[in-house]
This record gives sequence, structure tokens and C-alpha cells, in this order.
Amino acid sequence: MDILWLAILGFLLTGSFILGGYDYGVQLALPFTTREESSRRQALAALGPFFFGNEVWLIGAAGVLFGAFPFLEGTLLSGAYPLIVALLLGLVAGKSAVQLRGRTGGAAGRRVWDVLLTAGGLIPAMALGMLIGLLLTGVPLRGGHSFTLSAGEVLHPFVLLCGLTTVLLFAAHGGAFLALRAVGQVAARGAAFARRAAAWAALAAVVTAAAGLTLGIRPINAVPINAAPAVVAAIALPVLLTGARAALAAARPGLAFAATSAAAGLPVVSTGLANYPYLLVSSVTPGAGLTLAESAADGATLQMLTGFGVVIVPVILGYQFFLWWAFRGRVARPDYF
Amino acid sequence: MPRLPTVGGVELLDLARLQFALTTGVHWLFVILTLGLVPIVAVMHTSAVRARDPDTRAARERMTRFWGQLYVINYALGIATGLVMEFQFGLNWSGLSKFTGNVFGAPLALETLIAFFAESTFLGMWIFGWGRLRPWLHASMIWLVTLTAYASAYWVLVANGFMQAPTGHVIRDGVAYLTDFAALLTNPSALVALGHVIAAALLTGGLFVAGISAHHLLRGRGEFRSPLRKGVLVAAVASLAVYVVGALQYPLLATTQPMKLGMLSGGAGVARAQRAMEAAHGPGDYIPPHWAVWGQYVMLWLGYVLGLIALFAVIIAFRDGLARRRSVAVLVTLLAALPAGEFAGGIAFGEAGPHRLPIYAALALLMGAALIHGGRLTRPLHRVLMVAIPLPFLASVGGWVLRETGRQPWIVYGELTTAQALSPGVGYGAMLTSLLSFALVLGALAVTDWTLIIRYARRGPHAAHLGQPAETRPTF
Repeated sequence: MDILWLAILGFLLTGSFILGGYDYGVQLALPFTTREESSRRQALAALGPFFFGNEVWLIGAAGVLFGAFPFLEGTLLSGAYPLIVALLLGLVAGKSAVQLRGRTGGAAGRRVWDVLLTAGGLIPAMALGMLIGLLLTGVPLRGGHSFTLSAGEVLHPFVLLCGLTTVLLFAAHGGAFLALRAVGQVAARGAAFARRAAAWAALAAVVTAAAGLTLGIRPINAVPINAAPAVVAAIALPVLLTGARAALAAARPGLAFAATSAAAGLPVVSTGLANYPYLLVSSVTPGAGLTLAESAADGATLQMLTGFGVVIVPVILGYQFFLWWAFRGRVARPDYF
Repeated sequence: MPRLPTVGGVELLDLARLQFALTTGVHWLFVILTLGLVPIVAVMHTSAVRARDPDTRAARERMTRFWGQLYVINYALGIATGLVMEFQFGLNWSGLSKFTGNVFGAPLALETLIAFFAESTFLGMWIFGWGRLRPWLHASMIWLVTLTAYASAYWVLVANGFMQAPTGHVIRDGVAYLTDFAALLTNPSALVALGHVIAAALLTGGLFVAGISAHHLLRGRGEFRSPLRKGVLVAAVASLAVYVVGALQYPLLATTQPMKLGMLSGGAGVARAQRAMEAAHGPGDYIPPHWAVWGQYVMLWLGYVLGLIALFAVIIAFRDGLARRRSVAVLVTLLAALPAGEFAGGIAFGEAGPHRLPIYAALALLMGAALIHGGRLTRPLHRVLMVAIPLPFLASVGGWVLRETGRQPWIVYGELTTAQALSPGVGYGAMLTSLLSFALVLGALAVTDWTLIIRYARRGPHAAHLGQPAETRPTF
């Protein structure tokens, strides 16, 4: 049963990286792809109806983390304190900016929202990427249920590189989304931006993988990483991003977006598999990490949750698919945002 | 118990509690309006879709877009602050998940999956569905938003009810295990609070709609007559429900939290509860800070005043219709004076009860007078309704202060203290930094959001952006 809930958690997190990922990406791309107010409004209208459906995947993942993995939840969130606080502040600023920018009449007010909008894309992307990096390097768990990160652990080169790669990856993903859903100049600039960002992201992924190998991200006495998923991710990320570049050059934005989507979801899946059966690896004491069984809620709780889950998860997928289908197609003019 | 870090007398625990109070408090101020406004918007949208006559339909749709936009602006901060809430327990109160994770996390997980997920998705479709979804399908989106918003409130209160009066579990080796989920779902401390909260939200939403309509009616915009009536009617009915359901919570406290009840009623109750706590949990100070009682004073007093305003507003707003049927008018006046008498008694004596009959007679006479001289009272009433808009928010915060501060030092009543639940790895500096950051960011955004609500409320329906470029044809 805990495997099922790990799969659901992984699914929701992957979904939030893919769907929330292009939200952050469009927010990041905005200053580079749109100069006039009308094209900026068109880009935000492209996010439009999906924005609300996208942002809940992360919240859903947090809910499942609390309900099904309570013994990981408190440990991880309180341990990764600075990253979580930064993530939340970035999300709050970004979510508010996207929703309220259009209600502000003055150019000065809009400039303030634009800063928050971009910061609200950059900070969550960086924080989520750094969290991935942190999960891969392991955290200083010493047998108890809590840890505190030192500045050196948060700002470890590998962790920072993971953050940077994720920022570039989401930027490419957001650009590909604009190429797919906007029209005219916004779509063209989105495609150009995505091509640049994808090239940098591919390079960053290679450098990050190399840094992981040379820096020895898991100290000698800690649990070894499952090599296969890590190697697959290290190879697949640059390949997918290069593929996305080629697809954009060939004016196939749908294909490009599929490739960046796969790339955006990949870090979650590969990190989960690389650490399995640990959900949280200790970087200081081998075996002091939290395994799946140690993290999961009691069997009775999981069984009860499963009763709800088998109904809710398909329903969620149903109405999310309806959303994507009902609002398919390109957006040419500004809307509510 | 280990000493917690303290700087200048302010303990780490105080900072963590202040952070939770601040983030939940700000979240709540948006949630209460969301819950109160969304059913009214849904009713308006439905009535617009039902209208056959194109002019009527256009007028009603215009109103739906106006109120809907205010709702959507409010929701922006509701969801942003809700996101912060989702992570608060894990950030600062990791002891809670370690001790009650098997029990407490489940309702919150189900809240996100059943309610929050759907609410947000359907709201996106509603906002961008104008001219894209067929009218009935589009209107059903706002009903789904309503339904899931209320479902969300239910699950959150199941979690909160567990903290107030834990049930449905056993404790083995310092960890709680779920034994009876149905007991959690039907916890009276959750259900009664849910009823009270929903009624309070409707009172808030009703007075919000009435107050803004009053602003426009004072400027001669007749199209706001109908929303004002809707608003005051919702508020009047809700004020009765707030009062009745709220009162049900006191007998519940006798079994769940005698300490809180003792504090509210004064006398020897507090000392008795303290002795019982010491006998059960060992020596310690189990008495909540006394200022929690002020939360109740603010809530009750404002509740009575708002109830009176709403009842008088109904009489004055509907006086044309009532004047045509005299027997109905007399009956309504006599009936409305019943709760009005209770409220007036509450204002005068702090509790309804003494001198019931003379107060009732006086209120019946006053209401009769309001009915007869309603014309002259309309403008003053509109001013009062405008001033009343923020008061239900304040009253509800008072209620939460009583409910939450009044159960200290417990985070899960009788089982886990807030001090025990505090995340062990979080230092003073980190806690202070995050507190100040959240206070600054949430505070600035909340004030901005309220400024925008006020601006768009004053501009009126012609300035509503929601659903404006409706040139495309419905695709299905």
C-alpha cells in the first residue's frame, strides 16, 4: 500500500513539475519575450485557464505528503526550512502577481507586478531544483527525526547547479508552451527563447551530472545512489532538450512541448528512483535516512486513504483532462489576466 | 522539558505561534469572504442563465460579472495564503506529524485532493469560460466551485476539530493510530464549528453584497436594489444561524474543554480545570492567556450588532412589498423582533435573558416604526450597511482567537502541547526571519488585494473585466 501512495505522491509531484513548471517558465520568459503590454497580456492569457489547475498539483502533493507520509513531512519541511520558506514566498508573490496584475491600471503598478511575476517564477524554480539536489546529496540526519541544514549544505555547488538547471529547464518549457499556445510575435519569441534556454539547460544538465560525479555527492559512508535512474536522467535530459530545440527549429511546437514536459518531469522520477528505498538519505550516518516504510503512515490510515484515492485520483484526472481539452487551441488576444 | 530559546523574553514558541496566527488569520480573512460570496455569485449566474428575455439576461450577467470579479480578486489571496498554510505544520510544527501523523494528516490530504484541487481547476474554467463554455455548463462551474469550497471547509474543520477534541484513535508508544475514521468525520467539535463558520461566512458575504450595493444606491444606481435585498436577506437569516449554532458550542465545551468554559464563565471553573489537568498530565500551567476571553467579547458584541442591523435592514429594504400585505407585515415584524430582542438583550446585558419580554416589545415597536417610516430611514440604513462591511471579519477573528488561544497550551487537546510540537531543528534566527518575511509579503499583498476589491467595488459593473472579450462562440 505504501508503494501505491509513493506512486501517487510521485505522480502529483511530477505533474506539478510539468504543469507548474511551465507556469514558472512563462513567468520567467515574460521579460524576454514580450515588450509591449498587449503581447504581455497575450502571454498571460495563454496561461489563463490552466494556471489555476496547474498550481494545485504542488498543494496536492503536499497534502499527500502529510496524509500518507507524515513521518517524512515534518522532517523534510522543517529540515529544508530556508528552501521551503523561499519557495512559499516566491509562490505567493508569483500567484498573486499573475492574478492581480491585470487589475492594475497604472504602468508603475504593473512594473511592480512584473518584478513579482518574474521573481515568482525564478524563486520557486530555483528552490524546487535545489530541493531535488538536496534529496540527491542527502541531508544530515543522525538517527533522530529532524535535521538542520548548514549554509554549506544549502549552497553546495551541486545543489546550486541543480537549482540553476531547473530554472533553465522550466524557462525552456515555458517558452515552448508560448510557442505552442500563443500566436504571432509572442509565439515566435517564445520559440526563440525556448531554443536558447534549452541549449543552456542541456549544458547545465551535463555540468550538473559531471559535478555530481566529481564532487562525490554522496559521501563515502552514506547510502550509494541507484546508478541506473541517475545515469538515465543525466543522458535523457540533454537529449530531450536538444530534441526540443530541433523540434522548435522545425516549427513543431507540440513536439517540442512534449519533449520539455518529459524533461521537466524527469528530475522527480529519477530522484525518487535513485534514492529508493529511501525517501530521505542521510549524508552523515549510513542507514539513518528515512525509508519508505519508516515514512509512511500506519496501514489502517493508508487503507482508509486508498478507499478515497481510488475514486478521487481518476476524477481529478478526468476534470483536468476536460480542462485541457475544453481550452485547447491558440490564444490570440488578452483575456482576464 | 528542555528550555526553549528566548530572546528578550520572546520565546521561539511565541514566534512560531505568532507565525501560525498571522498566516492563518490572513488566510481566514479571504476564506470567509470566499465562502460567503461564492454561493451568492452562483445564484446570480444561474438566474442570468435562466432568463429568457435578452435584456434581463444581459443585466443579470452584468451583475454576475461584477460580483464574480470581486470574488475572484478576493480568491487570489485566498489561494496564495492557502498555499502557505499547507506547509505551516511541516515547517514549524513537525512534532504534530510525528505524534498524530497517522490521524491528523489524512483529513488535510483529503481536503487537497477532494476539494482544493477541484475548486481551483473549476474556478479557472469559470473565469475563462465566458463565451467559451455553453451557458449552463459555465454556470455549473461556479456551483462546483461553491460545493468544493464548502467541502474544503469541512475537511479543514475535521482536522481542527481533532485538535480541539481528539477522537477516533489510540496512542501506542507515543504515536497516535487511527482506529475510527467515522468518529473523526462526525466529531461534534468539527461539525458544530462548521455550521457556525458557514453561517458566519454567509453573514459576511451578505453584508458585503448589501454594503457595496448601498454605496451604489446612494449614488442613484437602481440596478443595485435587488443585490441589496439579496444581501440583507442572506445576512439576516445567517445571523440567526450564527447565534443558534454558536450557542451549541458552549455545552460541548463542558465535556471537551472545561478549562475554556471555566475561563468564560469565571468563578472557580479555571482552578478546578487546572487541578484536573495536573492530576491527568502532571504539574504545569494549563491556563490559557486570559485575553483569549476578549476574542469572545468582540465576537459576541459585533455579532449582536450585525444581527440587529441585518434584521432592520430586511424590514426597511422589503417594506414596499410588506406594506401591500398588512397581515404579513405584522407577522414578519413580530417574528423578526424575536431574534432582534435576543440580540438587543445581548448588547445590553452581555447575554440574552434578562428582561426578555419588555425588550421584545420594544424591538417589535421599533421594527413597526421602521416599517412605517422606512422611506426616511433608507439613506441612513445604506450608510450603516457600508460601515458594517468590515465588522463580520473582525467578529470572526475574535471567535478564532477564543477557539485557538483559549485551548493553549495544547495543540492536540490533552495529548500534545504546542511546545512539544515545535520543530526541533528550527533556530531562533530562521523562525524570526520567516515570520518577518511572511508578515511583510502577506501583509503587503493583503492590503493591495483589499485596495483592489474596494476600487472595483466602487467603480461598478461597467468596469468589470471578467468575461469581457466574449467574442468567440461557445465551443461546447
